[in-house]
Amino acid sequence: MSTLIIIDQPPYGSWEGREALDMAFSLAAFDQPVSLLFCGLGVNWLRKGQDAAKVQQKSVERNLAAAPIFGVEALLADRHACDQYGLSETAMLDHASTTDFGPELVSHFDHIAFAG
Amino acid sequence: MSSRLPEQTKTPASAGVFTLVITGAPYSSQAPQTALHFARAAIAANKRIDRLFLYGDGVHLASSLSAPPSDELNLCEAWSAFLTENNIPAVACIASALRRGLVNESEMQRYELPAFNLRAPFEIAGLGEWVDSAASESRVLYFHKGS
Repeated sequence: MSTLIIIDQPPYGSWEGREALDMAFSLAAFDQPVSLLFCGLGVNWLRKGQDAAKVQQKSVERNLAAAPIFGVEALLADRHACDQYGLSETAMLDHASTTDFGPELVSHFDHIAFAG
Repeated sequence: MSSRLPEQTKTPASAGVFTLVITGAPYSSQAPQTALHFARAAIAANKRIDRLFLYGDGVHLASSLSAPPSDELNLCEAWSAFLTENNIPAVACIASALRRGLVNESEMQRYELPAFNLRAPFEIAGLGEWVDSAASESRVLYFHKGS
């Protein structure tokens, strides 16, 4: 059973993305294969050098850096959204990769869940 | 980390058993009411619902302190009655619940809070309950707030 958790929410506007990340970490903790896909405004999760101190939040960059350690298989970014929001490969977290979000990608997974 | 995609291991679950996940709050989204309509229709069609899981803002559905005007639907009460009547287990995610001020008696004591407000038959538990459903044969349906 493989799961794709899709985050389409920006990192600091709501808690929905963080709670979706918790879902991914929980699956990984129970040895269930899981990958994360960031699309729409959600690709902003993957920017290097985030500083959320001024909004009194913790940077999500550190959470994502822990994803491979917790067993999350892949951090995927929708190529179209990266272009739309000006996120280049060099500005993106090292362990993330771009993909095309569509039926072909989704067909690889048994279970799909969106953040909020 | 590998970017190699996994292969789908089996066909999607058969549509006989459902797990419902509600992430939208009552009164600020349509999610709990839509989910209730679905659940009633599923039971009427002899389908089974093995679990209701409340996540994110959806945990507000388990509040015992919701008191809408008497001529409006009390969604918390309606869901609670439906769950009891059909003997369906219902769980509010503990992390989501504690963030939003929804606690049972033991969490009230643990965090030394002045009150608890979890409505029966809801229970508070971890995401492991959702993982259990996701890894089972159930078809998991999500009711979000929508955009």
